[in-house]
Amino acid sequence: MTKGVKLLIGAVIVIFAAAVVFAIIGSKPSDSTWVDIVQNNKIIYHLDLSEEKDRTFKIDYPDGGWNEVQIKDGHISIIDADCPDHTCIKTGELRSENIPIVCLPHKLVIRFSDEGAGE
Amino acid sequence: MKAHKLARLALLTALALIIFIIELRIDIIPIPGAKLGLANIITVYAVYKYSAKETAMIVFARVLLGSIFGGNVSAIMYSMAGAVFCLTGMLLVKRIVPLKYIWLSSIIGAILHNTGQMIVAVIVMRSFAVLSIYPFLLITGCIAGAFTGLCAQFLINRNLDVKDNKNET
Repeated sequence: MTKGVKLLIGAVIVIFAAAVVFAIIGSKPSDSTWVDIVQNNKIIYHLDLSEEKDRTFKIDYPDGGWNEVQIKDGHISIIDADCPDHTCIKTGELRSENIPIVCLPHKLVIRFSDEGAGE
Repeated sequence: MKAHKLARLALLTALALIIFIIELRIDIIPIPGAKLGLANIITVYAVYKYSAKETAMIVFARVLLGSIFGGNVSAIMYSMAGAVFCLTGMLLVKRIVPLKYIWLSSIIGAILHNTGQMIVAVIVMRSFAVLSIYPFLLITGCIAGAFTGLCAQFLINRNLDVKDNKNET
């Protein structure tokens, strides 16, 4: 085993450990009930989930395409979309402060935000 | 380029493409952009067995055809950025890491692939919000990279290409 290989193995271990630490920090559930729905880096909805009634609505993407967002029992999720990968649907309900629901093809992000911010 | 070599490269591309398409049906990881990356078995194999140019040809053909066959052309930017990062990194790492530790260069390739994807995601979405999934991508990437690396290792141990080594360009 050469020096270079040892160094690289060390680097990989450090990166992996750092990723695990950040993942654990990142996956703590949020206590905020406010969510932002962001498209093209613009906040298009700012909602208080504890106040919202159960409903579903569609978000259209200007260049074609849509996502169907569902709010149910104070949880928000994307239940349908016409993008090919459906990653946003598989993400399920928004739970964690640091893991947003992301739809890359439609440049859509749903994430928790600070209370009242952006109002 | 000799017809023999061209045929081999085409065969590898076809193999990578088949693995890629089958893999599209196996999506168990609910993280955007996370994948097993089994098609990279071929990439890792090619990095060590063929020249940089030939490997690049295989990878770009696979990414291009893969996104067309997979019906997800909009994701091509992410795949392409990932592929470019991964390929450059692995070609550099190849100088340091011997064939015996091929799994290591595969992991490094996976990390770089995820980094490339993330950089494009930040640029495209003009937001750092997507960075929060980066740690998760890295974890799955490291594990998947180790797995594909080991697969490539087994492939190379079989020494399938004795004939190719003779007329290496």
